This record gives sequence, structure tokens and C-alpha cells, in this order.
Amino acid sequence: MSGPPPEVVIDMAARAEGVGVVRQALAGMADALAFDPAVLSDMKMAVTEACTNVVVHAYDEEAGRLEVQMLAGEEELTIVVRDHGAGIQARPTRDGPPALGLGLPLIAALSDAFELHGAAGRGTEVRMTFAYVRDADPAAAHPVTGSLGAGGRWEPGEPPA
Amino acid sequence: MEANPIVLDDTAGDVVVVVVEGEHDIYTAPTLRERLEEALDRGGGLVVDLTAATFVDSSVLGALLDARRRALESAQGFVVCVGDAVAPGVRRILDITGLVPVLPVMHGRDESVVAARNGADR
Repeated sequence: MSGPPPEVVIDMAARAEGVGVVRQALAGMADALAFDPAVLSDMKMAVTEACTNVVVHAYDEEAGRLEVQMLAGEEELTIVVRDHGAGIQARPTRDGPPALGLGLPLIAALSDAFELHGAAGRGTEVRMTFAYVRDADPAAAHPVTGSLGAGGRWEPGEPPA
Repeated sequence: MEANPIVLDDTAGDVVVVVVEGEHDIYTAPTLRERLEEALDRGGGLVVDLTAATFVDSSVLGALLDARRRALESAQGFVVCVGDAVAPGVRRILDITGLVPVLPVMHGRDESVVAARNGADR
């Protein structure tokens, strides 16, 4: 790669219709990099779940902002999904049916590395890293934990040993 | 022309097929829920055909699981079907969540319609 590594920043209203736009931007970014198609597919899923969390959980009434940053490194792409909302806490969805609770387990399974930062009232940041070419399937090392509970929500289950 | 259509097909008679095409996420999940409700209101079996779907997220899985639960409660057959070549954006989430046997997911619409008619969810 010549020149500085590409960096893309998206700052948009945290609304449901924006999540597909982020996927399109991601596909465009991946076109410019040597991505394995399976990694791109996983990346779209993980980023969709992170953005969905912002749309559904971050803000109380008026939708706030959804920020997505894509940073291309030598061997991997780092994607940061950020909001300035209420922070990580158990709270109901803004409207609509209760969420399944599968978002974070999916992000953990589909990314090569994943960090969650946030505090009540200070917003939330999900940072995911995806290698352009994988040595192994991250979902094998970090399988989706839990199973469908009787109430129809995802029961987290025991984290893998 | 809708880019990511969700269409009810009732040509199979007592089993309604909800055909889901393209990419679906939190934006289209409310429409999917409406179509699934509408299909279940007819009282027969339900097949959700994901053959032409290219991407579904956990919002879509939530809608499918709620429809499945309602179908179970009212003893209506429920099957999700895929084609021979399943898009990675559909196959991966079904595989890693272990929901293939739960939903259940079957191959081929015709087989799925027969299974939904016979109540394959039990």
C-alpha cells in the first residue's frame, strides 16, 4: 500500500435506516483492501450489530449521533462504533419489541479482537479488529455463548473456559 | 420497486410462504414482523423463505423466533427455508447461533411447505 492508510469516518443520525448505509461504506472500504470475502461478511454482521445497539439502546428519545470510524492498518482493519448516549446499562429498547440480546455475543464471535468501553452517561465505544486474511476462524475461538431461553431472549450462558 | 422485498405467497394453499429477499436488519425488521403476523393470522402453516436473502442480522432472528413461538403456541407449522447456495450473510449467523435445528431451517421451499403443513416444528 502506498501513501497513508485510508481512514473513513461516518457521523450520522442514529436511525435504523443508517445501518445499511454503514454496511455499504464498509463494502466500499473492503473493495480497496485485500479482504477475504468471508471476513467481509463477518465484518458486515459485527458492525451491523454494533450500530443496531446504538440505534436501539443508546438514546432515550431524540436520536443522537452514530459514529463509525474505519482505520486500515497493515494487516487488519479496525472499526470503532461510538455513541454519546446513556452508556452500557440494562435498559429497555427505545421502541419496538425487546432485543434478542445476541448482538455482543455475535460481535465477539465474528471479530479477531473486540473491546467495549463506556460508562453510565458517557456513551459507549465498541472497537473491533478484523485481519484481512485469517489464520483461523474467530468463531471457533470465541463461539457464540448461550442459547435461546424459554422467554425468547438470548440467555448468555457460561463464557467459554 | 422495493430493493429488499418481503412478500406473502399463499399459492401453496394452507401454508403461507413469506419470501424475504436482499438485506434485512433493524430497518426492515418491523415490516418483516408485520408480514409474519399477517401470515400467521391466516391460521395455517408458515414458511419463511430466505433463499434470495443476502444478509440477515439478529433483529431478523428476533422476528423469526417470535413468529416461531407464536406458531408453536397455536399449533401452526413453522419452517425457515434456504436454497442450495446460502449467502454467507445468512448462513454464518444461523450456523454460529446454533439456531438451525431450533427454528428449524430446511433446504428447499417445496420440502419446507410439506414440513410446515405437517407441523415440522414439533
